[in-house]
Amino acid sequence: MSDRGRFPKGLFTAVLSALALMVVAAIVVDRAESSREALPVYGKVPDFAFTECRGGIFGLKDMLGNVCVVDFIFTRCQGPCPIMADKFRDLYRSYQGTGDIKLVSISVDPDYDTPQVLRQYASDQGVTDDRWVFLHAQKDDVVRLSEKGFMLPADELPAGHSSRFVLVDRKGQIRGYFCSDDDGCFNVLKAQIRQLYHEAS
Amino acid sequence: MRITYRFAWISTIATYVVIFTGGLVRVSGAGLGCPDWPRCFGRWIPPLSQSQLPPSVDPSQFNFTLAWIEYANRLCGLVLGILIATTAVLVIVNFAKRARILVPAIAAGLLVAFLGWQGGKVVTSELDPTVVSVHALLSVLLASLMIFVTQHIHYVLHPDAEKGSIYPARIRFWLSLAWGLSLAQVLVGTQVRGSIEIISKIMPLADDRVWLSNAGPVLYLHTILGILVIAAGTLIGLSIILRSTSPSSLMWEGAWAILLLLFLDIVLGFGFLLTGVPALMEILHLWVSSFLVGLLLMMRSGAIQKERVAS
Repeated sequence: MSDRGRFPKGLFTAVLSALALMVVAAIVVDRAESSREALPVYGKVPDFAFTECRGGIFGLKDMLGNVCVVDFIFTRCQGPCPIMADKFRDLYRSYQGTGDIKLVSISVDPDYDTPQVLRQYASDQGVTDDRWVFLHAQKDDVVRLSEKGFMLPADELPAGHSSRFVLVDRKGQIRGYFCSDDDGCFNVLKAQIRQLYHEAS
Repeated sequence: MRITYRFAWISTIATYVVIFTGGLVRVSGAGLGCPDWPRCFGRWIPPLSQSQLPPSVDPSQFNFTLAWIEYANRLCGLVLGILIATTAVLVIVNFAKRARILVPAIAAGLLVAFLGWQGGKVVTSELDPTVVSVHALLSVLLASLMIFVTQHIHYVLHPDAEKGSIYPARIRFWLSLAWGLSLAQVLVGTQVRGSIEIISKIMPLADDRVWLSNAGPVLYLHTILGILVIAAGTLIGLSIILRSTSPSSLMWEGAWAILLLLFLDIVLGFGFLLTGVPALMEILHLWVSSFLVGLLLMMRSGAIQKERVAS
């Protein structure tokens, strides 16, 4: 041992510092995980019953037990809706292996978007099952659900609808709002869907 | 001279600390904790509460803990950049005629600046797997450069560091081989992570054990290379411990450290098979691997120094 002590200050010190760092890591990881677990509850989706475009009624009771993403759209819309539909198509494809993640698109232009028009729109989006539903209701009911239920503005419909995605957990509680025109938001949305999916199961 | 050595030594340690904080960002999922770069939510000091967010930002995007984890890594990186830049300047002043020290020191200075800039790309690419892999790989390379610089300054200050030590024959060859393998292993490891990320997009709801089991051929390659690294490392460690005469403390403690790191990696490898990839084990794995690469390089330089002293 010709040169002990100067260059590596000893394996023992190294191991001790490594252990100390692991403790730091454990604390940081734990805090990061608990900070994510605390997804806020913004409110509860009120009871509603709208017409689903393929027939039948869809309402709060159909959402319960599923993780849902809700948006407000209309088929003639040239503004944000095509981007929103792109994102929903992505989600629809991503979660095709499971039945309990639902996408809910509510029309804000019920006079034009009859169930028939919505049905055509759904098939244009490649929707073949009830994991993505398209809802039709009286305009007053849509405004009430948007403003009172989801706390999203709905002035001067159809153009004045919100372009946010709303994340709803299995208990029908609103857990997050996401902008639809940004990939960063979208990645967070996906991560939170996964989290809510595992929360109850 | 001595001050240069101190700065090089501290910078080397600091490089590993930043590799650690970077790994921490990765495993805690804080990579997008600050969605913009270099500032965080438009501020030089990240927001302390939602009320400090600029009005254009969606409050649901802000997570205090994740923002500060990400920002801490950037600050540590900044400190590291200053340390390495200082080291490079000191080397230019004091060791301008020694290419073996000068070249890697300047390369490290350029690389750390590049890594800082590239860290911004990690954020703006929204954690693109390839960009993340390049970031991790270059960090390990930076650590190797700093080790090389520090060690060779040490040998200038202590030219007789390896005098009188005798190591088993062909130890330099085995160290070179193991170092090359371990570096390749880090490269393949980043590909495993990238592959798991792609799987996680295809099966977004599966748990991470399922993701790992679907990582494909790159995981087999990683396992096979791992076994080779373990075999070569064990051989090196044992032969130095059992068959060398008055080894330097670098080689002696290094040999034990190799065995310790390999043992940890074996435990972690089996752990991954049993439990998937829990965050703490992932960061330990990253750290053990980056240490192993640095250590093997360090011992390889030691063996070369021995030959130089002998001739």
